[in-house]
Amino acid sequence: MNIDEIFDFTSFTIDREPHIVLDPQVCVSCDNRSCTNCCPARCYTWSGEEQKMTFVHDGCLECGTCYVVCHKNAFTRWRYPRGGFGVAYRMT
Amino acid sequence: MNRTYQAIVVGAGPAGSSAALTMARAGLDVALVERGTFPGEKNMFGGVLHRLPSLEEVFPDFWERAPLERHIVKKSVTFMTGDSSFNTIIEAGSFDRPPYNGYTIFRPRFDRWLAEEAVKAGATLITRATVDDLVWKNDRVAGVSILDRGEISAPVVVAADGVLSFIAKKAGLRQPTFDPGQMAVGVKALIDMPRELIDERFGLVRDQGFANEFVGCTGGVRGGGFLYTNYDSVSVGLVFHLASLKTSNKTPYDLLNEFLEQPQVAKMVRGGRLLEYSAHVIPEGGYDMIPELVGDGILVAGDAAALCNATGLNLEGINLASQSGVLAGKAVVAAHGLGDLSRKGLEVYQRLMNDSYVMKDLKLYRKAPHMLHNDRIYNEYPELMTSFMEYIYRIEGAPKENLTKLFLKSAKEKVGLGNLMADAFSAWRSL
Repeated sequence: MNIDEIFDFTSFTIDREPHIVLDPQVCVSCDNRSCTNCCPARCYTWSGEEQKMTFVHDGCLECGTCYVVCHKNAFTRWRYPRGGFGVAYRMT
Repeated sequence: MNRTYQAIVVGAGPAGSSAALTMARAGLDVALVERGTFPGEKNMFGGVLHRLPSLEEVFPDFWERAPLERHIVKKSVTFMTGDSSFNTIIEAGSFDRPPYNGYTIFRPRFDRWLAEEAVKAGATLITRATVDDLVWKNDRVAGVSILDRGEISAPVVVAADGVLSFIAKKAGLRQPTFDPGQMAVGVKALIDMPRELIDERFGLVRDQGFANEFVGCTGGVRGGGFLYTNYDSVSVGLVFHLASLKTSNKTPYDLLNEFLEQPQVAKMVRGGRLLEYSAHVIPEGGYDMIPELVGDGILVAGDAAALCNATGLNLEGINLASQSGVLAGKAVVAAHGLGDLSRKGLEVYQRLMNDSYVMKDLKLYRKAPHMLHNDRIYNEYPELMTSFMEYIYRIEGAPKENLTKLFLKSAKEKVGLGNLMADAFSAWRSL
């Protein structure tokens, strides 16, 4: 089974507005950045070159992992998407 | 919006819908608020629903009525290491007769059905509604505000908003932050497979189902795997303790791929096609993690109350959620009867919970979460088990060793005899 494909099999209704917002300064000073390996949807990417954390809300499974593993509380916002938006499981 | 109800339930999962159903059947005007476009749209779990005594009471013909997949007749535990595995299987005649002991289900179908039953009983279901705050009046919860949609009022709110329960947090009932050591994350691949192939491959007839749990398949991260059969698909996934995953530098999806490629697992899913990928956090801290259940005008139920029993052998959640929802519903009905929805009036929920199997089981297995924080369970023991069994069955033309002696020798090498005894003692004390 191909990793890159696994994320394409979940449906989403994407909101313009992200439901999770990071304070980029906090991520720069983080000694751990476990969000990047723990997130099951590969939403967090750290660029060493740019010293920047990128979070993409489109593919977020709303699982809660980042909220639990981030010990720096880097979130200026962490809420669930507005009603009707976000991940839409069909079966599972 | 801006309506007043006798009670508001936040979250139309198994806890919330059970609470709403109980209250509506008792004649209360209750709002069931769900952020998905339909109940179940956001809900994910491994795949096996254990028997639900709470709902069998409400629906004596539960297994005829609910949208279930297969009932589990065959359960297997697999100890895995590299390309070897050691299996234990139990198949019981009693598992094949009602009341069935467990079923595979799909949450988008099951949760939707349960919420619809609450609606049939008179509850008002409000979907596409993300609750973002509590409304307070005189230091008591008096309603909820819904993102972009205004407020609704009620003298009591049941927080059934899932594992991260922001409602319980805002009410000051749960700890402000979570300990990754008390949390796990589950990832799952739903794999399409023809019904006949599943029946044949797993030795099943009629609506019989198979549940297989795995240890030693998580790349050294504390956790386990599962494979469950639905009618015409299989659910395969892994669960990781977050404290362990955090320091592992491994990703859930890479480990899931490795699991699916392990030769014995690969054979079970061969020919299948991926249908859906999902993930969710699980509260695995057990009894010690349970927040305060009652506040002034508020109760907490289900995952929001961390009601999850992970003993290492079973992972129970929905049954506990549904039971707590029913009890929260009963408590609200009783408190309304007395006209007292303060903390004192709602305290009956705590008593009902303490007397139920939910709290009794969680208390009994209170030490299990600590026992499961032992890395040897996920690495050395599966290895010890498979290599020992491999030795027993291998014919090499050389004289065999005494098996007890051999077991102790390899246990000494792989685990250490002191550790073996300590672990056996800790398992015995926990279970």
